[in-house]
Amino acid sequence: MAVSSPDDSDSLRYDSDEISGSGDEAKTRNFADFIRETSKTRRLSDHVEILVVEHEKRTETGSMGMKDVYTAYLIESRIREENGKKKQVAGNPSSLWRRYSEFEMLRNYLVVTYPYVIVPPLPEKRMTIMWQQMSTVDHFDADFVERRRLGLETFLQRVAAHDEVCQDHLFHTFLLQGENWKDSIMGTGFQAKNCLSLLFLQQDSRIKNLNASFRLKKPDKRFEGLKIYAQELRNNISAILKIRAKLAGTLYGIHKIHGNYGRVFSEWSGIEKEMGDGLQSAGHFMDAYKDYIDDFMNEEEQISDQLKEYIYFADSLKAVCRKQEVMQYELERSEDLLSSKRLQRDQLIGKAPSKTLSLQGMRSKIFGPEKPETKDARLRQLEDQIEEAEEAVLRNQREIMSFMDHALSEVERFKKQKGADLKELFISYAVLQIKMAKRGITLWTNTKECFEKM
Amino acid sequence: MATSGDSPASSKGEISDTTREALANPLTDDDDEEEEILANNHAEGSETVLATTLKEDSQNPDLQRLAINSLGSDDHDTHDIFITVDDPQKHVTKMETYATYKVSTRTTRGDFDHPEYTLRRRYTDFLWLRQKLEETQPTHLVPPLPEKHSMKLDRFSEEFLSTRQRALNKFVTRIAEHPTLSFNEYFKIFLTAKAWELSSHRKQSASIVTRFGSSFKANASAYMLKNRSPEYTMMGEYVQTFGDKMGSVDRISQRILKEQTAYQEALTNFGPAFRLWSDWEVEMTDILNAFATSLESCAKAMEEVIEGQELHYVPLIKEYILYADCVKSVLKKRDLFQMEYELAVDEINRKKNEREQVKISDQNYSIGAIMGKNPQDVKEQKGVKLETQIDKLQKQVEFLNDKTECANADLKADLDRWHRNKRRDTKEAFIGMAERHITYYEQMLSGWETVMYVLRDQDLELPEPPHPSFSSSPQQETQNSSSESKEDSWVKVEADAVEES
Repeated sequence: MAVSSPDDSDSLRYDSDEISGSGDEAKTRNFADFIRETSKTRRLSDHVEILVVEHEKRTETGSMGMKDVYTAYLIESRIREENGKKKQVAGNPSSLWRRYSEFEMLRNYLVVTYPYVIVPPLPEKRMTIMWQQMSTVDHFDADFVERRRLGLETFLQRVAAHDEVCQDHLFHTFLLQGENWKDSIMGTGFQAKNCLSLLFLQQDSRIKNLNASFRLKKPDKRFEGLKIYAQELRNNISAILKIRAKLAGTLYGIHKIHGNYGRVFSEWSGIEKEMGDGLQSAGHFMDAYKDYIDDFMNEEEQISDQLKEYIYFADSLKAVCRKQEVMQYELERSEDLLSSKRLQRDQLIGKAPSKTLSLQGMRSKIFGPEKPETKDARLRQLEDQIEEAEEAVLRNQREIMSFMDHALSEVERFKKQKGADLKELFISYAVLQIKMAKRGITLWTNTKECFEKM
Repeated sequence: MATSGDSPASSKGEISDTTREALANPLTDDDDEEEEILANNHAEGSETVLATTLKEDSQNPDLQRLAINSLGSDDHDTHDIFITVDDPQKHVTKMETYATYKVSTRTTRGDFDHPEYTLRRRYTDFLWLRQKLEETQPTHLVPPLPEKHSMKLDRFSEEFLSTRQRALNKFVTRIAEHPTLSFNEYFKIFLTAKAWELSSHRKQSASIVTRFGSSFKANASAYMLKNRSPEYTMMGEYVQTFGDKMGSVDRISQRILKEQTAYQEALTNFGPAFRLWSDWEVEMTDILNAFATSLESCAKAMEEVIEGQELHYVPLIKEYILYADCVKSVLKKRDLFQMEYELAVDEINRKKNEREQVKISDQNYSIGAIMGKNPQDVKEQKGVKLETQIDKLQKQVEFLNDKTECANADLKADLDRWHRNKRRDTKEAFIGMAERHITYYEQMLSGWETVMYVLRDQDLELPEPPHPSFSSSPQQETQNSSSESKEDSWVKVEADAVEES
């Protein structure tokens, strides 16, 4: 995360209402107050419109003299009009530039801070499952940047639509506060936690490889199911997107090759007397057939990007499941500790039969029975440890209970959101297909009429 | 031509004599092969020779036949012979593997012994028929046969055989519909002869065929025609471009078919992917399954487009690519006739020149005079000799002129017919293509409209679909509503009027 800060607030932030920058600071704070107050009771997205309106390629010379080239995105937030009335709040709208790495930072912070939340995904770093050959596309390709802009906008809107996360102070400052944002987010120490959780993840993956050693005694069935579901969601959407990419590629080819008919018909019409006119105009329609595919491809690509978001949502869901597993693992470890300590105590006071070959037994055989003082001291120490362990178990239990409560209601919310999103997505896909079919019918009917004139 | 093969053979000797004389000129001398080719040429035009020698009338019976020829093609009812080629079969013998096709003929023609024939023919038999037709009817445009080999396909695969069978059927039908070619003797043999009879016919003519073809092209291109009618130059250029364009159309259609096949394959997998997913999405099972159903029907529709294109569109384009070559070769043959004629005219002009020279020349120093003959006698002798030569040549020129005219007329009628057919066939092929695509998009439309119904039924909370364009255009809706409101106000006005009264 050691990126030189691009924020130079004076040059980066502008205020469309206020040309003179003197009252700027205070007015932004007013808008910030509005956001803070609103988000406490209602969804922020219902009252504040957040858009990523522009992007810009920038070059910056870093401390080491290395050139840093990146794209910055202009975030604009404004209060929505209610009943056609504009709310008079100073500092509204607000806009400022952020770069992708800052979005990443925000998201990482949210993941750490709200472990039970299925945090909305960012647009992918590198584009995958594409129908066009992407080897030629770099990070500054217009199409790539445009898609990323859309993806970032969706991300911000999704965060703003989340009942709990939208109240986050650092999220608000992300939208409003140009300078010092980085310092304040670093101040939360989320990175340390993040490192811990990263460590967990690494550990997790290592353990996964060893599989047998990391087996929960009492895995929660609901989360087990969710984990499988997330994997299936990812697999199914990936499969569908892969096929769609193939379809798009071939469909594009089909239309483009039809364009060649346009050329040949036009050339051919030059040598034909009676057929010439019909051929010529049929050729024009073939050209149109070639051209209109571009628009459809763009629209379809957008829909497929929306679907793709759910691949990454599936990953977020999996991450929540993994956190549950880690917590469960912690709980079980503390329980194990507690029971072993209890066993030790029981053995010490003779309640439980000690193992014949235990260290204790050996020692007592060799050195003779322990003195009562030392025994008492050990007993006391064990009692303390047991108390501590009991507390740890309780704490872990409480933590995991609250985590699971939160997480499960979060999953419910996610499911609802997914259902609505997918339905909308399916509708727009079906509408697009219908549009396509209608266009195809009109076009080929026209072409047929031309042929009939031949 | 009542008895097969006899008449061309017998007339051949007789004509080659005349040809030898006619062609005793510097351009073709010492070239036995060439001479023989031209002799063959004459053999084919034997009918014409007989006609000109018997009839003094300049009006050639061929021309009359042509009149019928061009009329007949428009009137399909006059067809009295119907032929189909179907049922390809693969035969495996110890010696070879080959395929045969069933050729069934129904005819009302008197010169056929039976009204119906059914027999099996091999591709090579068709090839033989076509060669024979080209030889005996050099002034006519003989339709093309499908190409001999297809590298892509196994020679005995069902797909290849049925494609070839359809092309052969087209070939035979085109001949049967041709007013002249359908009366060709060899065509009748092809349709009626038993297998062994046919093979004996084929053996008889094998040698000529190979020699004929080989040097023909070289011959025609070596000589620049003096006054070829621009019509033929244009036709030559036309058919060259036409062939090129058909080649392009063919390549385009092949590429489209390739893409469409890939598309169809992907589409076939697309539906099942949604069905798989539907197992995991309890609330959306119906929608996902509706998607799958729609995609499956799209895949099916695309399959039909591909099949239709392969069956009706591609073969026709391929046929016309080959046709372009046929037209080219028949134009070359026509040039050959004209070349013969022009060479003869050259010759006669030279002789006439010589005659004039002799008349005014002084023969005192001629070889004859030196040999002791009377120069005047020599002069007269030469004059007489030239006179007879000129006479002969004159006849030859007239004959060749007739022949060229005939060829021109035959060809013109055939080309006219070809143009008409080409126009009709390509038009049909293109319309077919458009119709197949329209059907495809219609099926696609109905598939997705069903999906829309499912989507709307699924969730009643869902507001009106964001785009109303799927069921009726927004303009229509607004029109409807505005007309309704108009009606309302109209009713109101009426009501007011009633109240007032």
